[in-house]
Amino acid sequence: MIAQQRALVAAHLSDRRRSLLAWGLPLGLMSAFIVAIFPSVEDALSKAIADYPPALKEAFGIGGLTNVEQYLQAEMLSLIIPLALGYLAVRAVASGLSGAAETGRLDVLLSSPVSRRRLVAASFIATAVELSAVLILTGLITAAASVLSGAGLSAGPAVAGFANVWPLALVFAGLGIVATGFSLRTSVVTGSVAGVLVAMYVIDLIGRLDPGLSGVRYVSVFKYYGNAIEDGIEPLAFCGVTLFAILLAALGAWLFDRRDLAG
Amino acid sequence: MAVIEIDGLTKLYGEARGIEDVTFAVEAGEVFGLLGPNGAGKTTAIRTLLDLLHPTSGRARIFGLDSQRDSVAIRARLGNLPGDFGYGRQTSGRAALHLLARLRGIDGLGRAELLAERFRANLDRPLGQLSRGNRQKVGLILSCFHSPELLILDEPTSGLDPLMQEEFMALVAEERERGCTVVISSHELDEVERVCDRVGIVRAGRLIAVERVAELLGKARRTVTLELAEPGDLGDLRALPNVTDLGVLDGRVSFKVSGDLDAAIKAIAHRHVIDMELTHPTLEEVFLTYYREGEGGG
Repeated sequence: MIAQQRALVAAHLSDRRRSLLAWGLPLGLMSAFIVAIFPSVEDALSKAIADYPPALKEAFGIGGLTNVEQYLQAEMLSLIIPLALGYLAVRAVASGLSGAAETGRLDVLLSSPVSRRRLVAASFIATAVELSAVLILTGLITAAASVLSGAGLSAGPAVAGFANVWPLALVFAGLGIVATGFSLRTSVVTGSVAGVLVAMYVIDLIGRLDPGLSGVRYVSVFKYYGNAIEDGIEPLAFCGVTLFAILLAALGAWLFDRRDLAG
Repeated sequence: MAVIEIDGLTKLYGEARGIEDVTFAVEAGEVFGLLGPNGAGKTTAIRTLLDLLHPTSGRARIFGLDSQRDSVAIRARLGNLPGDFGYGRQTSGRAALHLLARLRGIDGLGRAELLAERFRANLDRPLGQLSRGNRQKVGLILSCFHSPELLILDEPTSGLDPLMQEEFMALVAEERERGCTVVISSHELDEVERVCDRVGIVRAGRLIAVERVAELLGKARRTVTLELAEPGDLGDLRALPNVTDLGVLDGRVSFKVSGDLDAAIKAIAHRHVIDMELTHPTLEEVFLTYYREGEGGG
Protein backbone atom coordinates (compact mmCIF):
# COMPACT_ATOMS: atom_id res chain seq x y z
CA MET A 1 0.00 0.00 0.00
CA ILE A 2 2.80 2.41 0.91
CA ALA A 3 4.65 1.41 -2.25
CA GLN A 4 1.53 2.25 -4.28
CA GLN A 5 1.21 5.62 -2.58
CA ARG A 6 4.89 6.37 -3.13
CA ALA A 7 4.62 5.40 -6.81
CA LEU A 8 1.60 7.65 -7.35
CA VAL A 9 3.20 10.61 -5.58
CA ALA A 10 6.44 10.18 -7.52
CA ALA A 11 4.55 10.00 -10.83
CA HIS A 12 2.54 13.10 -9.95
CA LEU A 13 5.70 15.01 -9.03
CA SER A 14 7.44 13.84 -12.18
CA ASP A 15 4.55 15.18 -14.27
CA ARG A 16 4.67 18.49 -12.41
CA ARG A 17 8.49 18.89 -12.38
CA ARG A 18 8.38 21.88 -14.71
CA SER A 19 6.16 23.80 -12.32
CA LEU A 20 9.00 23.99 -9.79
CA LEU A 21 10.92 26.28 -12.12
CA ALA A 22 7.84 27.86 -13.69
CA TRP A 23 6.61 29.07 -10.29
CA GLY A 24 9.66 29.01 -8.01
CA LEU A 25 11.92 30.94 -10.36
CA PRO A 26 9.67 33.98 -11.01
CA LEU A 27 8.57 34.20 -7.38
CA GLY A 28 12.18 33.80 -6.25
CA LEU A 29 13.40 36.47 -8.67
CA MET A 30 10.65 38.88 -7.59
CA SER A 31 11.51 38.33 -3.93
CA ALA A 32 15.21 38.64 -4.74
CA PHE A 33 14.58 41.95 -6.49
CA ILE A 34 12.63 43.28 -3.48
CA VAL A 35 15.42 42.25 -1.10
CA ALA A 36 18.21 43.52 -3.35
CA ILE A 37 16.76 47.01 -3.82
CA PHE A 38 15.91 47.47 -0.15
CA PRO A 39 19.25 49.10 0.90
CA SER A 40 18.85 51.76 -1.80
CA VAL A 41 15.18 52.58 -1.08
CA GLU A 42 15.21 52.17 2.69
CA ASP A 43 15.25 55.86 3.63
CA ALA A 44 12.65 56.94 1.10
CA LEU A 45 10.36 54.10 2.16
CA SER A 46 10.56 54.95 5.83
CA LYS A 47 9.46 58.51 5.12
CA ALA A 48 6.67 57.41 2.79
CA ILE A 49 5.31 54.79 5.12
CA ALA A 50 5.12 57.19 8.01
CA ASP A 51 2.35 59.03 6.10
CA TYR A 52 0.25 55.85 5.46
CA PRO A 53 -3.05 55.61 7.41
CA PRO A 54 -2.68 53.16 10.33
CA ALA A 55 -5.63 51.10 9.07
CA LEU A 56 -3.99 50.63 5.68
CA LYS A 57 -0.72 49.56 7.31
CA GLU A 58 -2.66 47.11 9.45
CA ALA A 59 -4.58 45.83 6.46
CA PHE A 60 -1.47 45.00 4.50
CA GLY A 61 0.49 43.80 7.52
CA ILE A 62 2.94 46.66 7.34
CA GLY A 63 4.22 47.35 10.84
CA GLY A 64 6.76 49.68 9.34
CA LEU A 65 9.35 49.40 6.61
CA THR A 66 12.43 49.87 8.68
CA ASN A 67 14.07 46.56 7.83
CA VAL A 68 14.28 44.19 4.87
CA GLU A 69 12.08 41.57 6.54
CA GLN A 70 9.20 44.03 6.84
CA TYR A 71 9.72 45.10 3.22
CA LEU A 72 9.65 41.46 2.03
CA GLN A 73 6.47 40.87 4.06
CA ALA A 74 4.74 43.94 2.64
CA GLU A 75 5.75 43.40 -0.99
CA MET A 76 5.68 39.61 -1.34
CA LEU A 77 4.44 37.64 1.64
CA SER A 78 1.25 39.56 2.37
CA LEU A 79 -0.27 39.25 -1.09
CA ILE A 80 1.67 37.95 -4.09
CA ILE A 81 3.15 34.71 -2.73
CA PRO A 82 0.04 33.55 -0.81
CA LEU A 83 -2.22 34.17 -3.79
CA ALA A 84 0.24 32.62 -6.26
CA LEU A 85 0.84 29.55 -4.10
CA GLY A 86 -2.88 29.16 -3.40
CA TYR A 87 -3.55 29.13 -7.14
CA LEU A 88 -0.60 26.77 -7.77
CA ALA A 89 -2.03 24.39 -5.15
CA VAL A 90 -5.39 24.20 -6.94
CA ARG A 91 -3.75 23.67 -10.30
CA ALA A 92 -1.47 20.97 -8.93
CA VAL A 93 -4.23 19.01 -7.25
CA ALA A 94 -6.54 19.44 -10.26
CA SER A 95 -3.89 18.12 -12.64
CA GLY A 96 -3.84 14.83 -10.73
CA LEU A 97 -7.63 14.44 -10.66
CA SER A 98 -9.78 16.45 -13.09
CA GLY A 99 -6.82 16.88 -15.45
CA ALA A 100 -6.21 13.13 -15.35
CA ALA A 101 -9.89 12.53 -16.06
CA GLU A 102 -9.74 14.82 -19.10
CA THR A 103 -6.69 13.08 -20.59
CA GLY A 104 -8.03 9.57 -19.93
CA ARG A 105 -5.26 8.82 -17.45
CA LEU A 106 -7.71 8.39 -14.57
CA ASP A 107 -9.42 5.50 -16.38
CA VAL A 108 -6.07 3.76 -16.85
CA LEU A 109 -4.99 4.27 -13.24
CA LEU A 110 -8.35 3.09 -11.95
CA SER A 111 -8.03 -0.07 -14.03
CA SER A 112 -5.24 -1.06 -11.64
CA PRO A 113 -5.82 -2.07 -8.02
CA VAL A 114 -5.82 1.48 -6.66
CA SER A 115 -8.71 3.00 -4.75
CA ARG A 116 -9.98 6.44 -5.62
CA ARG A 117 -9.15 7.62 -2.10
CA ARG A 118 -5.54 6.58 -2.58
CA LEU A 119 -5.40 8.58 -5.81
CA VAL A 120 -6.80 11.63 -4.03
CA ALA A 121 -4.35 11.22 -1.15
CA ALA A 122 -1.45 10.93 -3.59
CA SER A 123 -2.54 14.07 -5.38
CA PHE A 124 -2.80 15.97 -2.09
CA ILE A 125 0.57 14.73 -0.76
CA ALA A 126 2.30 15.50 -4.07
CA THR A 127 0.83 18.99 -4.00
CA ALA A 128 2.11 19.51 -0.45
CA VAL A 129 5.60 18.44 -1.60
CA GLU A 130 5.40 20.64 -4.69
CA LEU A 131 4.41 23.66 -2.59
CA SER A 132 7.33 23.00 -0.24
CA ALA A 133 9.75 22.75 -3.17
CA VAL A 134 8.52 26.01 -4.72
CA LEU A 135 8.77 27.80 -1.36
CA ILE A 136 12.26 26.43 -0.74
CA LEU A 137 13.44 27.52 -4.20
CA THR A 138 11.86 30.95 -3.72
CA GLY A 139 13.50 31.26 -0.31
CA LEU A 140 16.92 30.14 -1.59
CA ILE A 141 16.91 32.65 -4.45
CA THR A 142 15.83 35.37 -2.02
CA ALA A 143 18.59 34.44 0.44
CA ALA A 144 21.19 34.46 -2.36
CA ALA A 145 20.04 37.96 -3.39
CA SER A 146 20.30 39.12 0.21
CA VAL A 147 23.88 37.87 0.49
CA LEU A 148 24.90 39.38 -2.86
CA SER A 149 23.27 42.77 -2.18
CA GLY A 150 24.20 42.92 1.48
CA ALA A 151 20.56 43.48 2.41
CA GLY A 152 21.02 41.50 5.63
CA LEU A 153 17.87 39.38 5.52
CA SER A 154 17.72 37.32 8.72
CA ALA A 155 17.46 33.61 8.03
CA GLY A 156 15.09 32.68 10.88
CA PRO A 157 12.33 35.21 10.17
CA ALA A 158 12.64 34.65 6.42
CA VAL A 159 12.21 30.88 6.84
CA ALA A 160 9.21 31.47 9.10
CA GLY A 161 7.69 33.90 6.57
CA PHE A 162 7.97 31.50 3.64
CA ALA A 163 7.00 28.41 5.65
CA ASN A 164 3.85 30.11 6.89
CA VAL A 165 2.49 30.24 3.32
CA TRP A 166 2.50 26.43 3.08
CA PRO A 167 -0.59 25.55 5.19
CA LEU A 168 -2.52 28.46 3.71
CA ALA A 169 -1.87 27.26 0.16
CA LEU A 170 -2.65 23.69 1.19
CA VAL A 171 -6.17 24.76 2.16
CA PHE A 172 -6.79 25.64 -1.48
CA ALA A 173 -5.48 22.22 -2.52
CA GLY A 174 -8.09 20.76 -0.14
CA LEU A 175 -10.77 23.00 -1.65
CA GLY A 176 -9.64 21.89 -5.11
CA ILE A 177 -10.26 18.27 -4.14
CA VAL A 178 -13.71 19.18 -2.80
CA ALA A 179 -14.41 20.88 -6.15
CA THR A 180 -13.46 17.71 -8.07
CA GLY A 181 -16.20 16.00 -6.10
CA PHE A 182 -18.61 18.16 -8.10
CA SER A 183 -16.86 18.66 -11.42
CA LEU A 184 -14.15 16.90 -13.40
CA ARG A 185 -13.53 19.90 -15.64
CA THR A 186 -10.20 21.48 -14.74
CA SER A 187 -11.36 24.93 -15.81
CA VAL A 188 -14.34 24.70 -13.43
CA VAL A 189 -12.22 23.40 -10.53
CA THR A 190 -9.42 25.96 -10.86
CA GLY A 191 -11.81 28.80 -11.70
CA SER A 192 -14.14 28.20 -8.76
CA VAL A 193 -11.37 27.72 -6.18
CA ALA A 194 -9.38 30.68 -7.52
CA GLY A 195 -12.57 32.70 -7.02
CA VAL A 196 -12.79 31.49 -3.41
CA LEU A 197 -9.09 32.34 -2.93
CA VAL A 198 -9.56 35.94 -4.07
CA ALA A 199 -12.85 36.27 -2.19
CA MET A 200 -11.23 35.08 1.05
CA TYR A 201 -8.39 37.55 0.61
CA VAL A 202 -10.79 40.44 -0.04
CA ILE A 203 -13.05 39.47 2.89
CA ASP A 204 -10.04 39.40 5.20
CA LEU A 205 -8.86 42.74 3.86
CA ILE A 206 -12.27 44.33 4.43
CA GLY A 207 -12.36 42.95 7.96
CA ARG A 208 -8.97 44.42 8.69
CA LEU A 209 -9.75 47.81 7.14
CA ASP A 210 -13.06 48.22 8.99
CA PRO A 211 -13.00 47.08 12.64
CA GLY A 212 -16.79 47.01 12.56
CA LEU A 213 -16.64 44.23 10.00
CA SER A 214 -13.83 42.28 11.64
CA GLY A 215 -16.22 39.39 12.31
CA VAL A 216 -16.33 38.50 8.62
CA ARG A 217 -12.67 37.55 8.79
CA TYR A 218 -13.64 34.27 10.45
CA VAL A 219 -14.87 32.92 7.11
CA SER A 220 -11.48 33.56 5.55
CA VAL A 221 -8.44 31.36 6.09
CA PHE A 222 -6.29 34.48 5.65
CA LYS A 223 -7.36 35.52 9.17
CA TYR A 224 -5.09 32.79 10.50
CA TYR A 225 -2.18 33.62 8.18
CA GLY A 226 -0.63 36.39 10.27
CA ASN A 227 2.79 37.95 9.80
CA ALA A 228 5.26 35.19 10.55
CA ILE A 229 8.30 37.07 9.32
CA GLU A 230 7.86 39.55 12.19
CA ASP A 231 5.89 37.58 14.78
CA GLY A 232 7.19 34.10 14.07
CA ILE A 233 5.02 31.10 13.23
CA GLU A 234 1.96 30.78 15.43
CA PRO A 235 1.98 27.00 16.07
CA LEU A 236 -1.75 26.76 16.77
CA ALA A 237 -2.69 28.60 13.61
CA PHE A 238 -0.11 26.70 11.54
CA CYS A 239 -1.31 23.30 12.77
CA GLY A 240 -4.98 24.30 12.73
CA VAL A 241 -4.86 25.50 9.14
CA THR A 242 -2.92 22.39 8.09
CA LEU A 243 -5.50 20.19 9.81
CA PHE A 244 -8.30 22.13 8.11
CA ALA A 245 -6.63 21.50 4.74
CA ILE A 246 -6.41 17.77 5.51
CA LEU A 247 -10.07 17.69 6.55
CA LEU A 248 -11.06 19.40 3.30
CA ALA A 249 -9.01 16.83 1.36
CA ALA A 250 -10.74 14.01 3.27
CA LEU A 251 -14.15 15.51 2.48
CA GLY A 252 -13.09 15.83 -1.15
CA ALA A 253 -11.94 12.21 -1.21
CA TRP A 254 -15.33 11.10 0.13
CA LEU A 255 -17.14 13.12 -2.55
CA PHE A 256 -14.77 11.86 -5.25
CA ASP A 257 -15.39 8.29 -4.16
CA ARG A 258 -19.13 8.70 -4.54
CA ARG A 259 -19.20 10.44 -7.90
CA ASP A 260 -19.36 9.00 -11.40
CA LEU A 261 -16.25 9.21 -13.52
CA ALA A 262 -17.84 9.77 -16.90
CA GLY A 263 -15.71 8.90 -19.90
CA MET B 1 -18.20 -20.91 -13.95
CA ALA B 2 -19.21 -17.34 -14.73
CA VAL B 3 -16.46 -14.75 -14.43
CA ILE B 4 -18.90 -11.88 -14.96
CA GLU B 5 -22.51 -11.92 -13.79
CA ILE B 6 -24.61 -8.85 -14.48
CA ASP B 7 -28.15 -8.71 -13.16
CA GLY B 8 -30.58 -5.96 -14.07
CA LEU B 9 -27.82 -3.35 -14.31
CA THR B 10 -29.22 0.11 -14.95
CA LYS B 11 -27.41 3.40 -15.23
CA LEU B 12 -29.40 6.53 -15.94
CA TYR B 13 -27.93 10.01 -16.30
CA GLY B 14 -30.85 12.16 -15.20
CA GLU B 15 -33.08 12.36 -18.24
CA ALA B 16 -30.42 10.93 -20.54
CA ARG B 17 -30.28 7.23 -21.30
CA GLY B 18 -27.38 5.07 -20.17
CA ILE B 19 -28.17 1.38 -19.90
CA GLU B 20 -31.37 -0.22 -18.72
CA ASP B 21 -31.93 -3.58 -17.10
CA VAL B 22 -28.89 -5.27 -18.64
CA THR B 23 -28.47 -8.92 -17.64
CA PHE B 24 -25.91 -11.39 -18.93
CA ALA B 25 -23.07 -13.64 -17.82
CA VAL B 26 -19.65 -14.33 -19.28
CA GLU B 27 -18.14 -17.75 -18.68
CA ALA B 28 -14.48 -18.35 -17.78
CA GLY B 29 -12.25 -18.60 -20.84
CA GLU B 30 -14.92 -17.15 -23.11
CA VAL B 31 -14.48 -14.29 -25.58
CA PHE B 32 -17.62 -12.22 -25.28
CA GLY B 33 -18.51 -9.35 -27.58
CA LEU B 34 -20.69 -6.37 -26.81
CA LEU B 35 -21.96 -5.28 -30.17
CA GLY B 36 -23.83 -2.10 -30.87
CA PRO B 37 -23.65 1.24 -32.69
CA ASN B 38 -21.89 4.20 -31.15
CA GLY B 39 -23.91 5.59 -28.25
CA ALA B 40 -25.78 2.33 -27.68
CA GLY B 41 -24.53 1.97 -24.11
CA LYS B 42 -21.59 -0.43 -24.49
CA THR B 43 -19.09 1.91 -22.83
CA THR B 44 -21.56 2.78 -20.07
CA ALA B 45 -22.00 -0.95 -19.38
CA ILE B 46 -18.22 -1.45 -19.16
CA ARG B 47 -17.65 1.64 -17.01
CA THR B 48 -20.39 0.57 -14.62
CA LEU B 49 -18.85 -2.88 -14.45
CA LEU B 50 -15.49 -1.32 -13.56
CA ASP B 51 -17.06 0.91 -10.87
CA LEU B 52 -16.14 4.07 -12.75
CA LEU B 53 -19.88 4.72 -12.87
CA HIS B 54 -22.15 3.81 -9.99
CA PRO B 55 -25.26 1.89 -11.09
CA THR B 56 -28.71 3.37 -10.59
CA SER B 57 -29.97 -0.13 -9.87
CA GLY B 58 -29.00 -3.75 -10.39
CA ARG B 59 -25.72 -5.39 -9.56
CA ALA B 60 -22.65 -6.94 -11.11
CA ARG B 61 -20.25 -9.57 -9.85
CA ILE B 62 -16.80 -10.27 -11.25
CA PHE B 63 -14.85 -13.34 -10.08
CA GLY B 64 -17.75 -13.78 -7.64
CA LEU B 65 -16.97 -10.42 -6.03
CA ASP B 66 -19.21 -7.37 -5.84
CA SER B 67 -18.18 -4.92 -8.57
CA GLN B 68 -18.60 -1.90 -6.28
CA ARG B 69 -17.59 -3.11 -2.84
CA ASP B 70 -14.68 -5.27 -4.02
CA SER B 71 -13.64 -3.11 -6.93
CA VAL B 72 -9.94 -2.88 -5.96
CA ALA B 73 -9.60 -6.66 -5.52
CA ILE B 74 -11.30 -7.21 -8.88
CA ARG B 75 -9.05 -4.75 -10.68
CA ALA B 76 -5.98 -6.58 -9.39
CA ARG B 77 -7.02 -9.47 -11.64
CA LEU B 78 -8.12 -7.68 -14.79
CA GLY B 79 -6.77 -5.55 -17.60
CA ASN B 80 -8.77 -2.78 -19.22
CA LEU B 81 -8.38 -0.79 -22.40
CA PRO B 82 -10.69 2.23 -22.10
CA GLY B 83 -12.49 3.48 -25.18
CA ASP B 84 -10.69 6.36 -26.91
CA PHE B 85 -7.54 5.56 -24.92
CA GLY B 86 -5.51 8.49 -23.60
CA TYR B 87 -3.02 9.00 -20.81
CA GLY B 88 -1.46 12.45 -21.12
CA ARG B 89 0.62 14.05 -23.82
CA GLN B 90 3.99 14.23 -22.07
CA THR B 91 4.19 10.71 -20.67
CA SER B 92 5.80 7.88 -22.61
CA GLY B 93 4.31 4.41 -22.76
CA ARG B 94 7.29 3.09 -20.82
CA ALA B 95 6.78 5.57 -17.98
CA ALA B 96 3.09 4.64 -17.83
CA LEU B 97 4.01 0.94 -17.80
CA HIS B 98 6.51 1.46 -14.98
CA LEU B 99 3.86 3.19 -12.89
CA LEU B 100 1.20 0.54 -13.57
CA ALA B 101 3.71 -2.24 -12.81
CA ARG B 102 4.53 -0.63 -9.47
CA LEU B 103 0.83 -0.20 -8.68
CA ARG B 104 0.34 -3.90 -9.39
CA GLY B 105 3.41 -4.88 -7.38
CA ILE B 106 5.13 -6.34 -10.45
CA ASP B 107 8.91 -6.30 -10.81
CA GLY B 108 9.86 -5.25 -14.32
CA LEU B 109 7.42 -4.77 -17.17
CA GLY B 110 6.06 -8.29 -17.58
CA ARG B 111 5.63 -9.12 -21.26
CA ALA B 112 5.40 -5.48 -22.33
CA GLU B 113 8.60 -5.56 -24.40
CA LEU B 114 7.45 -8.65 -26.29
CA LEU B 115 4.08 -7.06 -26.99
CA ALA B 116 5.73 -3.80 -28.07
CA GLU B 117 7.88 -5.71 -30.54
CA ARG B 118 4.88 -7.62 -31.80
CA PHE B 119 2.71 -4.52 -32.30
CA ARG B 120 5.69 -2.38 -33.37
CA ALA B 121 4.79 0.05 -30.63
CA ASN B 122 7.12 2.86 -29.60
CA LEU B 123 7.19 2.92 -25.80
CA ASP B 124 9.72 5.71 -25.53
CA ARG B 125 8.06 8.59 -27.33
CA PRO B 126 5.65 10.83 -25.43
CA LEU B 127 2.10 9.68 -26.15
CA GLY B 128 1.19 13.15 -27.41
CA GLN B 129 3.64 12.65 -30.29
CA LEU B 130 2.09 9.36 -31.40
CA SER B 131 -0.65 8.88 -33.99
CA ARG B 132 -3.99 7.55 -32.80
CA GLY B 133 -3.20 4.04 -33.96
CA ASN B 134 0.21 4.00 -32.30
CA ARG B 135 -1.31 5.34 -29.08
CA GLN B 136 -3.89 2.58 -29.24
CA LYS B 137 -1.10 -0.01 -29.46
CA VAL B 138 0.39 1.38 -26.24
CA GLY B 139 -3.08 1.22 -24.66
CA LEU B 140 -3.38 -2.45 -25.64
CA ILE B 141 0.02 -3.19 -24.08
CA LEU B 142 -0.93 -1.35 -20.87
CA SER B 143 -4.09 -3.42 -20.65
CA CYS B 144 -2.50 -6.84 -20.94
CA PHE B 145 1.22 -6.62 -20.08
CA HIS B 146 0.53 -8.25 -16.69
CA SER B 147 -1.27 -11.30 -18.15
CA PRO B 148 -4.61 -10.68 -16.42
CA GLU B 149 -7.35 -13.25 -15.86
CA LEU B 150 -9.94 -10.97 -17.45
CA LEU B 151 -9.42 -8.51 -20.29
CA ILE B 152 -11.96 -5.80 -20.99
CA LEU B 153 -11.34 -4.01 -24.27
CA ASP B 154 -13.50 -1.09 -25.40
CA GLU B 155 -13.27 -0.63 -29.18
CA PRO B 156 -9.78 -2.22 -29.21
CA THR B 157 -9.03 -2.01 -32.94
CA SER B 158 -9.98 1.65 -33.20
CA GLY B 159 -7.23 3.37 -35.20
CA LEU B 160 -5.24 0.19 -35.86
CA ASP B 161 -4.21 -0.56 -39.44
CA PRO B 162 -5.40 -3.88 -40.97
CA LEU B 163 -2.09 -5.60 -40.25
CA MET B 164 -2.25 -4.68 -36.58
CA GLN B 165 -5.92 -5.64 -36.45
CA GLU B 166 -4.85 -9.12 -37.57
CA GLU B 167 -2.18 -9.16 -34.87
CA PHE B 168 -4.80 -8.13 -32.34
CA MET B 169 -7.11 -10.97 -33.41
CA ALA B 170 -4.21 -13.40 -32.98
CA LEU B 171 -3.47 -11.98 -29.54
CA VAL B 172 -7.07 -12.45 -28.42
CA ALA B 173 -6.97 -16.05 -29.61
CA GLU B 174 -3.77 -16.61 -27.62
CA GLU B 175 -5.27 -14.99 -24.55
CA ARG B 176 -8.19 -17.39 -24.77
CA GLU B 177 -5.74 -20.28 -25.09
CA ARG B 178 -4.04 -19.03 -21.94
CA GLY B 179 -7.40 -19.26 -20.16
CA CYS B 180 -8.08 -15.53 -20.08
CA THR B 181 -11.67 -14.34 -20.32
CA VAL B 182 -12.08 -11.50 -22.79
CA VAL B 183 -14.86 -8.93 -23.19
CA ILE B 184 -14.69 -6.82 -26.33
CA SER B 185 -16.99 -3.95 -27.17
CA SER B 186 -17.28 -3.10 -30.83
CA HIS B 187 -19.53 -1.65 -33.48
CA GLU B 188 -17.88 -3.83 -36.16
CA LEU B 189 -19.73 -7.06 -36.83
CA ASP B 190 -16.74 -8.53 -38.69
CA GLU B 191 -14.52 -7.99 -35.68
CA VAL B 192 -16.74 -9.76 -33.15
CA GLU B 193 -17.58 -12.46 -35.66
CA ARG B 194 -13.91 -13.37 -35.96
CA VAL B 195 -12.89 -13.46 -32.33
CA CYS B 196 -15.96 -13.86 -30.13
CA ASP B 197 -17.69 -17.00 -28.93
CA ARG B 198 -20.86 -15.16 -27.95
CA VAL B 199 -22.20 -11.72 -28.58
CA GLY B 200 -24.51 -9.43 -26.64
CA ILE B 201 -26.32 -6.98 -28.87
CA VAL B 202 -26.87 -3.58 -27.33
CA ARG B 203 -29.17 -0.99 -28.74
CA ALA B 204 -30.60 2.15 -27.16
CA GLY B 205 -29.25 1.15 -23.77
CA ARG B 206 -30.82 -2.29 -23.75
CA LEU B 207 -29.36 -5.71 -24.35
CA ILE B 208 -31.67 -7.04 -27.02
CA ALA B 209 -30.07 -10.46 -27.48
CA VAL B 210 -27.21 -12.69 -26.40
CA GLU B 211 -26.27 -15.26 -29.03
CA ARG B 212 -23.47 -17.54 -30.07
CA VAL B 213 -21.79 -15.93 -33.07
CA ALA B 214 -22.75 -18.79 -35.39
CA GLU B 215 -26.40 -18.43 -34.41
CA LEU B 216 -26.27 -14.69 -34.80
CA LEU B 217 -24.96 -14.97 -38.34
CA GLY B 218 -27.39 -17.75 -39.07
CA LYS B 219 -30.36 -15.63 -38.09
CA ALA B 220 -29.20 -12.56 -39.92
CA ARG B 221 -29.86 -12.46 -43.63
CA ARG B 222 -26.80 -12.67 -45.82
CA THR B 223 -26.82 -11.50 -49.42
CA VAL B 224 -25.83 -14.08 -52.05
CA THR B 225 -24.91 -12.85 -55.53
CA LEU B 226 -24.40 -15.40 -58.29
CA GLU B 227 -23.15 -15.07 -61.81
CA LEU B 228 -24.74 -17.92 -63.71
CA ALA B 229 -24.00 -19.03 -67.29
CA GLU B 230 -27.76 -19.43 -67.81
CA PRO B 231 -30.10 -18.17 -65.07
CA GLY B 232 -33.15 -20.06 -66.41
CA ASP B 233 -36.06 -20.77 -64.11
CA LEU B 234 -35.33 -19.91 -60.47
CA GLY B 235 -38.57 -21.35 -59.10
CA ASP B 236 -36.79 -23.96 -56.98
CA LEU B 237 -34.75 -21.22 -55.29
CA ARG B 238 -37.77 -18.95 -54.88
CA ALA B 239 -39.67 -21.78 -53.21
CA LEU B 240 -37.22 -22.04 -50.32
CA PRO B 241 -38.68 -20.58 -47.10
CA ASN B 242 -35.44 -18.94 -46.00
CA VAL B 243 -34.79 -17.17 -49.32
CA THR B 244 -36.15 -13.67 -49.94
CA ASP B 245 -35.63 -10.68 -52.19
CA LEU B 246 -34.73 -12.84 -55.19
CA GLY B 247 -33.94 -10.83 -58.30
CA VAL B 248 -32.06 -11.01 -61.59
CA LEU B 249 -30.16 -8.08 -63.04
CA ASP B 250 -27.73 -8.18 -65.97
CA GLY B 251 -27.42 -11.93 -65.70
CA ARG B 252 -26.56 -11.76 -62.01
CA VAL B 253 -28.89 -13.39 -59.53
CA SER B 254 -29.07 -12.02 -56.04
CA PHE B 255 -31.11 -13.05 -53.02
CA LYS B 256 -31.06 -12.89 -49.26
CA VAL B 257 -30.85 -16.03 -47.19
CA SER B 258 -31.27 -16.56 -43.48
CA GLY B 259 -30.19 -19.56 -41.41
CA ASP B 260 -28.68 -22.62 -43.04
CA LEU B 261 -27.23 -22.11 -46.54
CA ASP B 262 -27.43 -25.78 -47.47
CA ALA B 263 -30.82 -25.78 -49.24
CA ALA B 264 -29.96 -22.70 -51.29
CA ILE B 265 -26.61 -24.16 -52.37
CA LYS B 266 -28.30 -27.42 -53.41
CA ALA B 267 -30.94 -25.52 -55.34
CA ILE B 268 -28.33 -23.87 -57.52
CA ALA B 269 -25.90 -26.79 -57.63
CA HIS B 270 -27.16 -28.14 -60.99
CA ARG B 271 -26.48 -24.79 -62.70
CA HIS B 272 -23.20 -23.57 -64.17
CA VAL B 273 -21.97 -21.08 -61.53
CA ILE B 274 -19.32 -18.67 -62.85
CA ASP B 275 -18.92 -16.61 -59.69
CA MET B 276 -20.47 -16.38 -56.25
CA GLU B 277 -20.28 -13.71 -53.58
CA LEU B 278 -21.57 -13.93 -50.01
CA THR B 279 -22.01 -10.66 -48.17
CA HIS B 280 -22.50 -10.62 -44.43
CA PRO B 281 -25.16 -8.34 -43.05
CA THR B 282 -24.34 -4.92 -41.74
CA LEU B 283 -24.85 -4.22 -38.08
CA GLU B 284 -28.12 -2.46 -38.88
CA GLU B 285 -29.34 -5.51 -40.76
CA VAL B 286 -28.50 -7.71 -37.77
CA PHE B 287 -30.50 -5.38 -35.55
CA LEU B 288 -33.41 -5.46 -37.98
CA THR B 289 -33.37 -9.25 -37.76
CA TYR B 290 -33.82 -9.05 -34.00
CA TYR B 291 -36.46 -6.37 -34.21
CA ARG B 292 -38.39 -8.45 -36.71
CA GLU B 293 -38.16 -11.40 -34.33
CA GLY B 294 -39.37 -9.23 -31.47
CA GLU B 295 -42.32 -7.94 -33.48
CA GLY B 296 -43.16 -11.47 -34.66
CA GLY B 297 -43.24 -12.69 -31.12
CA GLY B 298 -45.62 -9.88 -30.17
